[in-house]
Amino acid sequence: MRRPALVLMALVVVLLSGTVLPASAQDKPRSGGELVFVVPSEPPSYDAHQEETFGLIHPMAPHYSTLLRVDPTDKTGTKPVGDLAESWTISKDGLTYTFKIRSGVKFHDGSDLTAKDVKASYDKILNPPAGVKSLRKTAYTAIASVDAPDATTFVVKLKYPESSMLLNLSSPWNWIYKADTLAKDPKWYEKNVNGTGPFKFVEHAKGSHWVGKKNADYWDKGKPYLDGYRAIFISNSAAQVAAVRGERAMIQFRSFSPAERDSLVQALGPKITVQESPWDCLNLVAMHHEKRPFDDKRVRRALSLALDRYEGSKHLSKITLVKDVAGIQVPGTPYATPPAELEKLAGYGRDTAKNRAEARRLLKEAGVPDGFAFTFKNRGIPHPYEPLGIWLIDQWRQIGLNVKMEVIEASAYHPMLKRGDFDVAMDFQCGFIVEPDLDLPRFLSTSDANYGKHKDTVIDDLYSRQGRATDPEERKKLLRQFEKRLLDEEAHVVYTLQWNRVIPHLSKVKGWTITPSHYLNNQLDTVWLSE
Amino acid sequence: MTKYLIKRFLLMLPTLFGVALVTFVLIRVIPGDVVELRYSGDSGSVSQEIIDRERARIGLDKPVWQQFLTWMAGVVRLDFGTSMWTGAPIWEEIKLRFALSLQVAIMATIVAVVLAIPLGVLSALKQDTWIDYSVRVFSIAGLAMPSFWLGIVLILMMLVVFKWLPPMVYTPFWVSPTQNLAQLIWPALAVGYRYSAVATRMTRSAMLEVLREDYIRTARAKGLMQKLILSRHALKNAMLPVLTVVALEFAFLIGGLVVTEQVFNLNGIGLLFVQAVAHRDYTLLQALIMLVAGSFIIVNFLMDIAYAWLDPRIRYR
Repeated sequence: MRRPALVLMALVVVLLSGTVLPASAQDKPRSGGELVFVVPSEPPSYDAHQEETFGLIHPMAPHYSTLLRVDPTDKTGTKPVGDLAESWTISKDGLTYTFKIRSGVKFHDGSDLTAKDVKASYDKILNPPAGVKSLRKTAYTAIASVDAPDATTFVVKLKYPESSMLLNLSSPWNWIYKADTLAKDPKWYEKNVNGTGPFKFVEHAKGSHWVGKKNADYWDKGKPYLDGYRAIFISNSAAQVAAVRGERAMIQFRSFSPAERDSLVQALGPKITVQESPWDCLNLVAMHHEKRPFDDKRVRRALSLALDRYEGSKHLSKITLVKDVAGIQVPGTPYATPPAELEKLAGYGRDTAKNRAEARRLLKEAGVPDGFAFTFKNRGIPHPYEPLGIWLIDQWRQIGLNVKMEVIEASAYHPMLKRGDFDVAMDFQCGFIVEPDLDLPRFLSTSDANYGKHKDTVIDDLYSRQGRATDPEERKKLLRQFEKRLLDEEAHVVYTLQWNRVIPHLSKVKGWTITPSHYLNNQLDTVWLSE
Repeated sequence: MTKYLIKRFLLMLPTLFGVALVTFVLIRVIPGDVVELRYSGDSGSVSQEIIDRERARIGLDKPVWQQFLTWMAGVVRLDFGTSMWTGAPIWEEIKLRFALSLQVAIMATIVAVVLAIPLGVLSALKQDTWIDYSVRVFSIAGLAMPSFWLGIVLILMMLVVFKWLPPMVYTPFWVSPTQNLAQLIWPALAVGYRYSAVATRMTRSAMLEVLREDYIRTARAKGLMQKLILSRHALKNAMLPVLTVVALEFAFLIGGLVVTEQVFNLNGIGLLFVQAVAHRDYTLLQALIMLVAGSFIIVNFLMDIAYAWLDPRIRYR
């Protein structure tokens, strides 16, 4: 048998072993050992309320608890379960959430956690004191007040019902801090660690590693299984792969590329398990609505109709981080677009020739029958921006457009988008939980991230209505309308392909389930080592 | 001699000021800034209000000349401020990495000197023999191969052949010499080989030149032993240019192992440089450039002293 065939077979076996069988069904958890993992970035500060990077979540989430969390065994990453909240009730009008806080939970300094600590942490997120930043304040505009009437009760009152509230309160960023500490110094957590999570802080050697050890007083008795963990900071991707290949590290929780996955599978065979999931990250194409001819929806639709997404998925998924053809929600999650519905949107139908004929007709109708030339601005990051950009240009050429790609240095990219200094540009979004209320606000007319500057009151209204719809079926219906308006009728943006998360890890790492977000499932309380 | 040293020392100050000025201006020409990078993150959803507030907090909203004066006032007091990315004092950030970079530089220098001087001398003494040709091939190969490439080959060889990888985390020598050497010997070899190639070529040509001097012929005519001629007369004089090369390479290694440190995942000054550029951490970047410039200037100063000691004619000029 030839070598590529052998690699392919090994890959299939490994993929099956890792993804089809749930980890929990394979063995019984055993205690002990140190999990060593790679983190491609590093925390700028220690305060999750004011940071945006997974470089903080990966090494530090094991030190903290949140009010709710996303079920660590749920592959969709959309099921809220209690963390510090033992149980909760929602009032009939959907405006009052009452949480019962667990008793006997201790901070790592030995003090008891009460509802007062939860309230103080949420106060800091919702109304940060002067000089303190909170990046998530705007995600909770529905909240009217938070209160802790007694030591075990935490109450959230809303201004209007919001169907995503429970998931929003499961945010991996909303670590619970100690009220007394915050009262003395609201910036204390920027440089210090004291949580109630499954692991206690041991050491942070800047630029090198982060170490945590088992919290023997963790509220969930029997957990965590690990004696501790060590996060090694490695920014170079070749060095990350070498670390796993040389078994100096067991896992990297963000993602590897398909080529890196294949090289690890080829080198380590059965010693490696691969978990894959659609990723809650996506590149979309922003078209400046105030610049001609992109002020014409026929031109914008033509740009979407030109794309053969299914063929693109087949080939691009072999070389870069993208895979699924998807709508406004990650495939496999509760509000994802059913394939039959998806195929009705402009550029999502299976008949590419028909789509492109329609694109040419629209261009003709818009007064540009022979196509036109424009510059497509792309971000200077190799994966997946570069291959996606090349693919887009090729697809647009098929309908007679002459597109030049201009690569902008990564750090100068967002200022360029904000200035609106483009005709057509690659845009990007990445969420921490798959939830329409968290993923879609960027498309509102007033959003800072609405780089194409569209003004669409229908979109604004549909967004608002879906968020307040308490019946999931009604919400789905509204979301489909939103999607049709955004991607088809008005074609405000062009979605490319959903990112695909690839986590190859040593097979001895058990109890960790991939989700669509690299911000989730990092508390490590369920993780154990089989050897 | 004292006058000579004072003159050399005073020349360091305008050089450092020039470096500070050029550095400060050039890094601000690069598009993007630390705040934009930090808060644009993965989704770029942070409001402009937060970004503006953060810029004001770290002083990026002030005119560039004002930022420069504030920074220079700190530099004069040897206070480089805090990192714009982590908020930690700059010296703390650098101190953590400096020990590792210094150790790699020292080890690579030892590797280079141990290889270069005997090989260069041998090559000169056995000019145009198979020994000379072999040494030349060895040194030209070293010059042709980038040290980071050699590093990648070393890592792959260890992974594929020995199924082993050096430790990923730095352990100080005094904590565990074996762990420390197991991690640092490989970059030292990769860098030291290239470094030795430069020094070998220099030693060979300097020796060839010196061996043709009249005083060597005189020494031979006096009937001095070859060993004495070499050690007492030839080598000492041939060492001047070699010393220059070795010293400048040493200064370069303090902050110049940018790619090699990434390949071996060494938490050194080179890697910190890359991170500072990637994060647009102006204060850290400025301090690092001043550190490297300072290293070069100090090494040059020490070289001047060594020159004056090795060749008394220099100090009397």
